Amino acid sequence: MSAQVRLGLLQAAAPLLAIAFGALVASGIILAIGEDPLEVYALMLRFNLTRSDSVAAILFKATALTFAGLAVALAFRANLWNIGVEGQYAVGAFAAALVAFGVNGLPAFIHLPLAILAGVAGGAIWALLPIVLKLRRGAHEVITTIMMNHIAAALVLYLLADVFRDPTQAGTPRVRTPLFLDSARIPPLRPLLQQFGIGIPEHSALNWFLVLAVVLCLAAAYLLARTRFGYEVRAVALNPHAAEAAGVRIARTQFLMFLASGATAGLVGLSDILGFFGYFDIDFPKGLGFLGISVALLARNNPMGVVPAALLLGFLDRGAQGVQVFAGVPREVITILQAVIILAIVVGYELVTRYVRAQRKREAERAVAAPSDAVMQEGG
Amino acid sequence: MSAVIELTQITKRFPGVLANDRISLAVSPGEIHALVGENGAGKSTLMKILYGLYEPDEGWIAIRGNRVTLDSPSRAITVGIGMVHQHFMLIPRFTVAENVILGSEPARAGRLSMSEARRRIRALADQYGLAVDPDAEVGALSVGEQQRVEIIKVLYRGAEVLILDEPTAVLTPQEVDDLFANLRRLRAEGKTILFISHILEEVLDIADRISVLRRGRVVGTLEAARATKAQIAEMMVGRPVLMELDVPPARPGPVRLEAADLVVPGSRGRMAVRGLSFQVREGEILGIAGIEGNGQSELVEALVGLRAPSGGRLRIMGEDMTQAGPRSIRMIGVAHIPEDRHRRGLVLPMEVWENLILGHHFRPEFGEGMLLDRGAIEGFARERVDRFDVRTPSLRTLALALSGGNQQKVIVAREFGFAPSVLIAAQPTRGLDIGATEFVRRQILAAREAGMAVVLVSAMLEEVLSLADRVAVMHAGEIVAEFARGAATPREIGLYMTGARRTQEVPA
Amino acid sequence: MELVAALFNMALLASAVRLTVPILLTAMGAVYSERGGVVNIGLEGIMIMGTFVGASVTHVVAVSIPAAGAEAGAAQALAPLAGMLAAMAAGVAFSLIHAVVAVTFRVDQIISGVVLNMLAVGLARFLNILIFGVATQSPGISGFEPVSVPLLREVPALAPLATGISPVIPLALVLLVLGQWVLLRTVFGLRLRSVGEHPLAADTLGINVAVMRYAGVLISGALAGLAGGYLSIEQGRGYLEGMTQGRGFIALAAMIFGNWWPLGALGASALFGYFDALSLRVVHTGVPYQFITVLPHIATILVLAGFMRRAVPPAADGIPYTKEEA
Repeated sequence: MSAQVRLGLLQAAAPLLAIAFGALVASGIILAIGEDPLEVYALMLRFNLTRSDSVAAILFKATALTFAGLAVALAFRANLWNIGVEGQYAVGAFAAALVAFGVNGLPAFIHLPLAILAGVAGGAIWALLPIVLKLRRGAHEVITTIMMNHIAAALVLYLLADVFRDPTQAGTPRVRTPLFLDSARIPPLRPLLQQFGIGIPEHSALNWFLVLAVVLCLAAAYLLARTRFGYEVRAVALNPHAAEAAGVRIARTQFLMFLASGATAGLVGLSDILGFFGYFDIDFPKGLGFLGISVALLARNNPMGVVPAALLLGFLDRGAQGVQVFAGVPREVITILQAVIILAIVVGYELVTRYVRAQRKREAERAVAAPSDAVMQEGG
Repeated sequence: MSAVIELTQITKRFPGVLANDRISLAVSPGEIHALVGENGAGKSTLMKILYGLYEPDEGWIAIRGNRVTLDSPSRAITVGIGMVHQHFMLIPRFTVAENVILGSEPARAGRLSMSEARRRIRALADQYGLAVDPDAEVGALSVGEQQRVEIIKVLYRGAEVLILDEPTAVLTPQEVDDLFANLRRLRAEGKTILFISHILEEVLDIADRISVLRRGRVVGTLEAARATKAQIAEMMVGRPVLMELDVPPARPGPVRLEAADLVVPGSRGRMAVRGLSFQVREGEILGIAGIEGNGQSELVEALVGLRAPSGGRLRIMGEDMTQAGPRSIRMIGVAHIPEDRHRRGLVLPMEVWENLILGHHFRPEFGEGMLLDRGAIEGFARERVDRFDVRTPSLRTLALALSGGNQQKVIVAREFGFAPSVLIAAQPTRGLDIGATEFVRRQILAAREAGMAVVLVSAMLEEVLSLADRVAVMHAGEIVAEFARGAATPREIGLYMTGARRTQEVPA
Repeated sequence: MELVAALFNMALLASAVRLTVPILLTAMGAVYSERGGVVNIGLEGIMIMGTFVGASVTHVVAVSIPAAGAEAGAAQALAPLAGMLAAMAAGVAFSLIHAVVAVTFRVDQIISGVVLNMLAVGLARFLNILIFGVATQSPGISGFEPVSVPLLREVPALAPLATGISPVIPLALVLLVLGQWVLLRTVFGLRLRSVGEHPLAADTLGINVAVMRYAGVLISGALAGLAGGYLSIEQGRGYLEGMTQGRGFIALAAMIFGNWWPLGALGASALFGYFDALSLRVVHTGVPYQFITVLPHIATILVLAGFMRRAVPPAADGIPYTKEEA
């Protein structure tokens, strides 16, 4: 069906057009600060694609972004905004850190899963209050989760600086937890990649959480597409009133999806601390929760789209470092580029969706005029 | 006598549809001119063109002999055309005065002059006999009062021509009488009225002339005094029409649904249903008539488990289901055609096959454990679509792409699946064209023949009267009267709909 | 008793009044936007732009005017004024993006607002680097000459609240009363509310829905920009990254608490301002300071949890308007 193909192409083209539009706006900014945009972009491509440390860094960054994007997307799929990923992953990561340095004498195959579980639980617990207040009291989750982010930041700072600070670091400017036990560390991916003849730098942070991130996205996609629960989630998101009439318990569905979102958020920081740093410190990476919103929007909340979206943002992030160091272009230009891409993409998706629906409607109108055996074409 | 409005060769196309096909029409000053036709005949499109919401692809409009371009509602207002919409364009939280003046406010330097507004509204109300309180909040008014506000809104803007789109659809027979008195008064004051309807008795009662639309074309204009119902109906449909459905006698069996002193809360803490009792037996249809907003919606929601009763009991198939949720009520064999199919009946952005299992999706037939069995679902969906003749390009078409009639067919096909024993149908033919209406009504009768116990809630009195074996009239959350089939005239029932009480019981 | 005295001393109350102003201004902005039917979650970002632009324009104007001579006083007053106006202009410009995306393109309003917030963070950092060479702060600046409110300053009990205050504080109160009056008693207010309640009805009466919604959003931008300018020029005496501390969102809670009316938002804004002041002052308690700093955020959650049910938003709030039938 050529019409089908055309619509499909259009949907695929929207993100590309948005990226082009974002690049155009960023070009203006780059020109304004007296640099040549083409050179900057070329540098970015060269820096990102021709160096193995760049590729590894992009994949490492994309690992955390995948969890963050999936967390936001899962909530979104149930018509809920989880702007609280930022706070949830801070709490989750700190909970994991507690287990990683505080629990002794366990073999790795117990200690590491336990630390990961602590992260998941921390994230889910921090998501609990907003969703309960939403469902019981009607408090808008956008505002409550943002407030929870501020509270999480204060709580983690307090626990880190005043309670669990590594005593051996007292008197130094370093504010961090004691070092994690090796049994709680996520193994690096390098040995595996070497077996396939792929070389990455020795101290690359890239670890097995990348695989977990991809697997989790696949699992989420399967859950949504093929299970009764996934069907109910989609119905609730698209028309809660009809879902309710069909016997779906809306509050329960939303509650579970939001907790799943928080639990996934609990994984965001683990690749960094359990897979790379080996401690939790005051410079623990921040802002991944908000980047997760970008990832989810780029992916249209489709779990399968989260991985490429995270790769794109990881790519831009690495490129930003490159252009800052080698071309003297502030990396904030790339932050702006990201935001413009997201804005353009949501507008693009909106227009495409509207157009596609109009087309479908036209098709159906023609079908009414046609004999009813048209039903048999291309079903189910 | 020259025409106030003259339409010449108006043509309007939508993708795949010719909505108006070279329509020419002349409306004389001071007449009530009715425009009749089936849903989809092009009435609404034509009215939207006259009101500046659509622009015609071809043809032109002349007002008092001058050609005009009506490219916006405000332009239509300027040339003296006012529209009373079928779904009132009123803001419930605003007062009557605020609603009336919105868009042409009496003001000094941007400051509203509400005293001036009140004065003008009172003057209009007096002149045309339209009683309203300018300071009342519109949300608290009855439907008839709201309609008067709409009419005043139009007169306030100096309309000479009033278009009324299906104005009686939401009124009781008594309110219709009031409206018609108002319209005659308006005509006496020199206004011209364009009256859109598909209820032929009313049209013959109120109109001076009647124009009939069919498939986007004017098929004729008649003098109301010399026209007959059968004649107009034939013009509308294009063939002789049988006006009555053929209903075989009922053979009621054991009680399947029983409500006893049922009390159901409304949305704002007030009781919407106040101690209601009835029984429905196998193979019979209980019709519930009443003006909308008298607790019918809440009653239906309680019957299907969407709203928990706060008192009384509900027994279905002999089991106490008073506090049961929608899922258990479905599983016990209750089917539900909801009053608002877009809100409660379908997930519009989902595909047809997905909509066909909505509410059946937890049945073991559609998969083991957590997983859904796509093959089994497709088989079921295909069978449903074929049996109920749903016109869709494919099972993967989005429900929102289907026409209203086909959407309703999806719902009926789904709800009649898995052999239900009870059917709760609320406003089942609302907004459907004659063909789809007939289809749905036949399905409801077929359900009765198949032994289902049917509760039919409808604001269309004629629908209840033609389908139901017993008619209960609801007012203010109570059943105020009950009649066996044929035991009461529409006018009598209308009286109860507005609150009269009937003391003696009627044998069921 | 000591604690009670500490909680209600005049200096604390004066500080509470100062910190009420940015929340109140932004909440009023939110009222305009949402009364017109557009949820503006991007107010935080608009405030951020206000803080940055306000401080940097104040600084640039101040250094470009010769400080000596007879005109020094006038020049000193000119810089914060220019900064404040620039902050408002930046707020309007930034909210225009929201209007275009959410009203014209009918994208989900929350998405648009959230992206706006992200854009503001990046943009403020970038521009700060361009102008001041660092990402996170501007040089120190001086604000308006403090003013005293006539009459009020004569009352001994109120003197600390009425003397030596920023002129923006009385301005905010004037805007507050004005806002209530505009929404209730003017043609503009009636029309704005009508497109937030029932845009189709307004449209059929010849009211341009998009124009009214743009107006609501742009006014919200001006007010949030002003709030941001006040924060950086009058409160912070300079721009510091993150100085808005979520006040844009807190203001939304204040608006909800106030049932979408300017006067209603005053109470919750004052409550949040008080906790804000408290978080800056109470250092000598046993409670770790990190917990004191989040008092406003905890209060916000409590307010939303306690009062949301009672409030009734405009009927078409957050719903893009389209003439086409579904």
